[in-house]
Amino acid sequence: MSQVFTFLVGGKAGQGVRSAGSTAASVFNDMGRAVFQMDDYPSLIRGGHNFSVVSTSPAEISSHYLEAQLVVALDQRSYDRHNGHLDDDGVMVHDADVDGDGVSLPITEKAEEYERPDLISGVASIASLCAAIGMTPARLETVVRRAYSSHVEDNLSYAMAIYEAADDEIGGRFSLETGDHRGGALLTGNQAIALGAASAGLNNYFAYPMTPATSILHFLAGHARDLGIAVMQPENEIAAANMAIGAAFAGSRVMVASSGGGYALMEEAFSMAGMVEAPVLFVLSMRPGPSTGVPTYTGQGDLDMALHQGHGEFPRIVASPGGIGEAFSLAGELLSMVWRFQTPGVLLTEKHCSESAMNVSLDPGAVPWAEPEMHPGGGYGRYRLTDTGVSPLLFPPSGQTVKWNSYECDENGITTEDADTIAVMHDKRQRKQQALREHLRDMATVNVHGDAGPVIATYGSTTLSVLEALRHGGLDARVVQPVYLEPFPSWELDGYDDVVVVEQSAAGSFEQLLREKTGVSVAAHVRRYDGRPFAPAALAAELEGVLP
Amino acid sequence: MRELGTDAENTWCPGCGNFGILRAVKKAAGLLDASAFDLDTLVMSSGIGCHGKIFDYLDLSGVYSLHGRAIATVTGMKMANPLLHPLAFVGDGDAYGEGLAHLLFAAKRNMDITVLVHDNGVYGLTTGQFTPTTERGVTTRSSPHGNVEEPFNPLLLMLDAGASFVARGYPGKLDHLADLIARAIEHVGFSFIDVLQPCVTFHDTYEEYNRRVEVLDATLNMAGARELALQHDALHIGVFYHETAVPYHERLLGDFNPVEDAPSRDERLAAVEDLSR
Repeated sequence: MSQVFTFLVGGKAGQGVRSAGSTAASVFNDMGRAVFQMDDYPSLIRGGHNFSVVSTSPAEISSHYLEAQLVVALDQRSYDRHNGHLDDDGVMVHDADVDGDGVSLPITEKAEEYERPDLISGVASIASLCAAIGMTPARLETVVRRAYSSHVEDNLSYAMAIYEAADDEIGGRFSLETGDHRGGALLTGNQAIALGAASAGLNNYFAYPMTPATSILHFLAGHARDLGIAVMQPENEIAAANMAIGAAFAGSRVMVASSGGGYALMEEAFSMAGMVEAPVLFVLSMRPGPSTGVPTYTGQGDLDMALHQGHGEFPRIVASPGGIGEAFSLAGELLSMVWRFQTPGVLLTEKHCSESAMNVSLDPGAVPWAEPEMHPGGGYGRYRLTDTGVSPLLFPPSGQTVKWNSYECDENGITTEDADTIAVMHDKRQRKQQALREHLRDMATVNVHGDAGPVIATYGSTTLSVLEALRHGGLDARVVQPVYLEPFPSWELDGYDDVVVVEQSAAGSFEQLLREKTGVSVAAHVRRYDGRPFAPAALAAELEGVLP
Repeated sequence: MRELGTDAENTWCPGCGNFGILRAVKKAAGLLDASAFDLDTLVMSSGIGCHGKIFDYLDLSGVYSLHGRAIATVTGMKMANPLLHPLAFVGDGDAYGEGLAHLLFAAKRNMDITVLVHDNGVYGLTTGQFTPTTERGVTTRSSPHGNVEEPFNPLLLMLDAGASFVARGYPGKLDHLADLIARAIEHVGFSFIDVLQPCVTFHDTYEEYNRRVEVLDATLNMAGARELALQHDALHIGVFYHETAVPYHERLLGDFNPVEDAPSRDERLAAVEDLSR
């Protein structure tokens, strides 16, 4: 714990809190330290209360901490809210207008000397941080020039003024050693998903905005030309999913993304992708539901939806990354898998993974390139019967007729109501399901972290919280994390008993899945469903109480 | 030119207006073939309804889509490979009801696709309910005391939404319809044809259309097109409005073709490395 340093900046939306968090994360990243950044923000554009918390360690770290060494409160609400979050040796820096104890700096007063006083005040938190960790003014200048390049001279002069004031009070208060994480990329989960899919050959991306999936759209739209990807924002999620099927028909590796509500609108197309055998990757980034729920917070309440959405019976692939590095590799792996098996796949994640940032090492060369099995020649039938149930593909214009059909159809794609053909085609899709299951048996489908101690079962980014809680509490446990959730790798889960299940679901949908699909016995569970990710210290205490 | 028929058994009612549309499409393909158009780039989609069966009867590549979604499906095809010429067959319930948003946005964007509406003013395959284009007062199985809604005017809707090619056709004038379809497919940008399609079983309009349909031989501007679209006594068929406008995919992508010009794996991985530094 003593190795971990946490910086927390709070203020109103519009004060640059999130970019201050990102800038702090890059400062720590430059020092070779491991970083975890979590942004907490309400669903509004101006006002309210935002905070960004960045925890860093010279060794591993996989969660933010709420017990901060340095808090910068840009307004009274942030002071009141986070004063109790100070670590024992923590320092509270606040604006001079704030009524309270701690180090008072002229954050607002100095900001008013510039054109955009509200927007600039986030820079004060970076200046305070740099002073507190003993960075030189020259180093601060480098940081500001890189992170705040628009109106850079204003930002720089403001930063220096705050730095001087902070340096007198808290200069060099904390000494942070460098680490060996150099070369890692500082990425959010959504950036990792976008880059992972790109590494597998993504050609088209269709998405309608919905938090917390939206930043995939922002990232891909921003880099569409660098990557050679067509990015389109259509009229709604129904259009996005149906366009994706049309694009796949034309030979495009394609992905769509949304959160629960938008994903629900894609349900009809999801079933169609199963029927026409369209390789489409769907990303479902969960926020608390039901319905509109809590848009900018986290949860794992849509597991059942991912596993069961879509009318009719057809194969699907559902998998959930246990962190940001895995979000990258899994997005690529899933895009390749949906191409191999020509059926829809779901990358299931959460706001906590999508929008938190870590520095991770990526290996794009290890991502499998999505390659279709192409028709070898001769007369073509789209749904030709094969042993694996997977029929070779052909894309127009090809000189042959390629018919994808949402009705039940014959091998050539012509609609049928013939009883024998209906059954034969169901058998074909079931063979595909079987082939998919066999394929998964040869893949790494479950991560096991640690090799001794009682067993904790979890999935998704809750894995990150659990691992940090174990580090924090010095607890011994094995963490069993199924990455693939459908087909469910039951064969990997034999022999685990008295398991403690940790998840962010009120009903315990992951625990129910484990009970349904495996013989493991569940000793206890820890659930959090208030929209907030687990905090390591509190989770460690809870685990200590329930681990056998 | 290859034959565009298939072996599928045709299950439209004898005398259905869809037969005329099917013949007109085949004829249009012949016209296009004769003008050096590569028919292999002509791809189709259809919605769900009696009109949709045309998917099985035409030997063209395509996707038999969902009710209301064929326009989204062909938009995806165009955005993946702009060399393709997608043709969406849709019904009036399909395109003006279930999937209206897709139709309006395809017109708004000037998406380079062709939409052909089999507009018969009735849901046929579900055995006779009123649709978005059913006249007020018409008795159907879901409006037993007469339809209480005013119908959409499809041509006005499309003119307002920004369609760059707006036409109306009638299978009773087969050669005229074939010519319209060929011109719509060749038009660069969004093209729309509302086809007056009699339904012999639930909404037989042959006699009425034969009486009211008049071939339009003038070239109209926007104001003229709107005026003619509002006319009630005569039903004009022909091109109401067309203009030259840059299609959506060119505005978004320039001349980049996402499938044909896709980067190699090495190029892509180099770009990913650059972005993840």
